[in-house]
Amino acid sequence: MRLALCLCAALAASPAAAGVEEALAGPILPGLAAFAGAAEDLAEAARADCRADALAPDYHAAFDAWMAVGDIRLGPSETGALAIAFWPDDRGFTARTLNSLIAQQDPVADDAAAFAEVSIAARGLFALDMLLFDETLSAYGPDDYACRLVRALTADLAGQAGALEAAWRESFAQSLRTAGAAGNATFLSPDEAVRALYTQILSGLEFTADSRIGRPMGSFARPRPKRAEAWRSGRSLRNVLASVEASAALARALAGRDLPETDAALARVRVAAGRIGDPGFQDLADPAARLKAEILQQEVRGVKAAIEAELGAQLGIAPGFNAQDGD
Amino acid sequence: MKYLLSTAACALALAVSPAFADRAAVLDTYADIAEAAYADSLSQAEALRAAVAALVAEPSPETLQAARAAWRAARMPYQQTEVFRFGNAIVDDWEGRVNAWPLDEGLIDYVDAAYGGPTDANELAALNVIANPRPVIAGVEVDATRITPKLIAGTLNEADGIETNVARGYHAIEFLLWGQDLNGTGPGAGARAHTDFVAGEGCTGGHCDRRADYLLAATGLLVADLEEMAANWVEGGAARAAVMADEDAGLVAILTGMGSLSYGEQAGERMRLGLMLNDPEEEHDCFSDNTHMSHYYDGLGIQNVYLGRYIRTDGRVVEGPSLAELVAEADPSLDAEMRAKLDATMAALGAIVTAAEGGFAYDMMLERGNAEGEALIMAGVNGLIDQTRSIERIVTALGLDRIAFEGSDSLDAPGAVFE
Repeated sequence: MRLALCLCAALAASPAAAGVEEALAGPILPGLAAFAGAAEDLAEAARADCRADALAPDYHAAFDAWMAVGDIRLGPSETGALAIAFWPDDRGFTARTLNSLIAQQDPVADDAAAFAEVSIAARGLFALDMLLFDETLSAYGPDDYACRLVRALTADLAGQAGALEAAWRESFAQSLRTAGAAGNATFLSPDEAVRALYTQILSGLEFTADSRIGRPMGSFARPRPKRAEAWRSGRSLRNVLASVEASAALARALAGRDLPETDAALARVRVAAGRIGDPGFQDLADPAARLKAEILQQEVRGVKAAIEAELGAQLGIAPGFNAQDGD
Repeated sequence: MKYLLSTAACALALAVSPAFADRAAVLDTYADIAEAAYADSLSQAEALRAAVAALVAEPSPETLQAARAAWRAARMPYQQTEVFRFGNAIVDDWEGRVNAWPLDEGLIDYVDAAYGGPTDANELAALNVIANPRPVIAGVEVDATRITPKLIAGTLNEADGIETNVARGYHAIEFLLWGQDLNGTGPGAGARAHTDFVAGEGCTGGHCDRRADYLLAATGLLVADLEEMAANWVEGGAARAAVMADEDAGLVAILTGMGSLSYGEQAGERMRLGLMLNDPEEEHDCFSDNTHMSHYYDGLGIQNVYLGRYIRTDGRVVEGPSLAELVAEADPSLDAEMRAKLDATMAALGAIVTAAEGGFAYDMMLERGNAEGEALIMAGVNGLIDQTRSIERIVTALGLDRIAFEGSDSLDAPGAVFE
């Protein structure tokens, strides 16, 4: 009750920045709730039958739900996303950590609270991707340690998803809505909230072009298909499309209007994606397949350019720093 | 509309202050600090080279200890230069030669059996060139019978296009001086014996002559690389000229370096990720357990640049008109906010140093479920993230957001954080 009063006072004191409420009510909060629901469904399915084949549909549903909000690395998601989706993994941490848990039959799998302290490399969607789809690891039976590990992982994921959704709904969403109001130490002006969301849109598209597509492409002489995101489950292309759709949806919400150039660029991404042969990007050693991936990458960058032109110009802002600014 | 108003107010504020003269002077100070810090890094690297030569000439516990001390000393000024990355293309293009990290150290020398062999991501992760005069790299046999600077720089470093094949720079030298830290998240650093460098009888680890050649060559390369960068910042140097070419772009370079180092690199990649992975190899100076110092001096470099003041290795002070003064003219409360946040970060990074020097090493803080370590590291991470928000506000307050980050390597072609 006190919270609600505070919010009203704050809103009255400072007009909410255009688009922020639409972004929250549109893609963000419902998207997080849908992800929490899908993660709970996955955990429930794992309790009933932990085997890899049985879990695949719920796994894909949960990953799809994540992709709708996964590139928003802001507020509670800034740290939270790392334990839900630890990728890229250049040094093979996920394989190493999972194999070590399995080899030691680490009892942490039977202790939910302790599991939350496990390395992020063995938690979240990418650890599941390896357990459920790696040829060797996925061959476990219902009585094997890996089965308990899958149950622990899915329960932990559901817990994380629920906590993330609650943190946004109960707290961080209000920080965004009340940007610029007295007492809001996070966003000192409405523009700061808009800029924060705008930065997420652009950095998500950058990440898709540079990492989701660029990493497996490698160089012409040395393609790196094993660096593709979620290649074991064949989700690489699906994630590219979902991430771009999510960025465009957030841009539309923030703009509060249609963005025709962005939509046209998005349509070109869909066409380019339709020409990709292997949804897991494992055919990139073939020059023709590589060319198609390169075109897809260009079209994703086209969406970013369109959003900068349409939305960035409208808002009159440049993006802030994002977590990819290191090297 | 709202935005236009605030920009107009901002422009007005700038018009009534002698902003343009100030800006050039601020850039001068920035370049002066870079010149001094790279010169200090160079002189410390030269001292390291001398200590390494003494170790190789006469391997003993004492000469090994002296070389390690020289390496630690060399890190102090160098880490304070990291704030010049990200905003200056000339530094970014060069940096990978001196401070690349993390590395698959099995490329260079022997490793423990637990290290494993080649990985999916890197076929050369356990190449061990010191033991292997004719290694095969990407299907081609390489002549490594003599370990030379040319072999390291031209063939081994980033071999097969893999960034974790780090064959040169501070961390390759660190590995040769300390060896692997096999204590996990328990106490203790790498424990290479001086006998790993004994020629002939008494050699441990095998191929001591090749290991000594490698250490000498890598240290020589480090000196040469730092000579190059120090020269770039003197009067007439290319990096200084690039910063001075356009006042607004120069200020953007300063702020881009401060923000990218604070957030994506230091808080994200180096500190939080290692903590969340609970992996002792994810600490920045993982062989020597010097990570607390490297983080501290990275943070100090950011503060130096803001306050326009750098204390040299010999105690002399380089200072001049500062970004802080420029911000204070535009918005005194924002300057106070920035100073307070930099102080808070330095206090948090200082607490990590104090704990580490008291025996609670950085890798021990990374242990799974270690709440005390997590609290120490996350205080540093939160301070760095928090100060990044103020850096963004400064960009706006100085009226730089219209042009902000155009032409910055970091934002136009961001190397993904994990690359």
